[in-house]
Amino acid sequence: MIPPTYFLYLAALLFAVGAFGVILRRNAIIMLMSIELMLNAANLTILTFGRIHADPHAHAFAFMVIAVAAAEAAVGLAILVGIFRNRRNVNIDELTLMKY
Amino acid sequence: MMLLEAAAHMVDPSTISTSSAPLILFWIFSAVVLGGAILTIFQTNMVAAVMSLVATFFGLAAIYAMLSAHFIAALQVLVYAGAIMVLFIFVVMVLNKDEAPRPMRGLITKMIGAISIVSLMFTLMPLLDNAVPGGVETPSADFGTVANVGDILFNDYLFAFEAVSILLLIAVIAAVVVARTHKQEVVEEGHLAEHEAMPEATIEASH
Repeated sequence: MIPPTYFLYLAALLFAVGAFGVILRRNAIIMLMSIELMLNAANLTILTFGRIHADPHAHAFAFMVIAVAAAEAAVGLAILVGIFRNRRNVNIDELTLMKY
Repeated sequence: MMLLEAAAHMVDPSTISTSSAPLILFWIFSAVVLGGAILTIFQTNMVAAVMSLVATFFGLAAIYAMLSAHFIAALQVLVYAGAIMVLFIFVVMVLNKDEAPRPMRGLITKMIGAISIVSLMFTLMPLLDNAVPGGVETPSADFGTVANVGDILFNDYLFAFEAVSILLLIAVIAAVVVARTHKQEVVEEGHLAEHEAMPEATIEASH
């Protein structure tokens, strides 16, 4: 038998790795992928608690998270392509046009 | 997918199984998930990073199957490992530029961020021990199947389902509007001032 807390630990570690990716990397594509990692960690937590309480409503919730993540990836990558057209670069540190 | 189904059938968390096979599978898939995730964020080669992320998502699909979430596991492979990662690899190909090694900037900010995450984990981990006070309930036989989840989606969450489909439609249209090339339009209207202001804007993506 697998203790359900193991799944929660895995989700927490996955979230930490995703957060590290967002903070340590300056490449916008890697940052978007790290956001996907964190969304998946949240999904894993939701599904674990759904399994603990034998509640299939958690699966509907996870379904919505996946759909919103797909929308987020599509818009985020489109914005990156638009930025790349104008700036030839997707380094977050150099996108300071709206900073001051 | 056969592997996932095999993993799902072996696990019956409601009864304490004497075999340690599910636990071994869990460790293997956890290693795939965490190893893929760590490789993803430390790769400088973008294509390799995307492939590591695909491995992560396959491992996660297996973990979902172990939680009896069969429909979500299939969806994970189709939507994440399939559609979203194809989108990512497509954009990587369009951008086609490896990250140049550059001096570490904002080191203090990164250190503060890293320390915050580590401390968050140290705070969170002891709490997770007490996150499951009761035992694990026994699910019904059709728990997590397409019929079960579909029944809930189209009865209890019909509005949310429709809202999310409209959201996806809006996202697709927005993606096309944001990412399309504006060159033709600008030339037709004869606004050449914009070209002079930003000469790089006229360079086509194929260059």
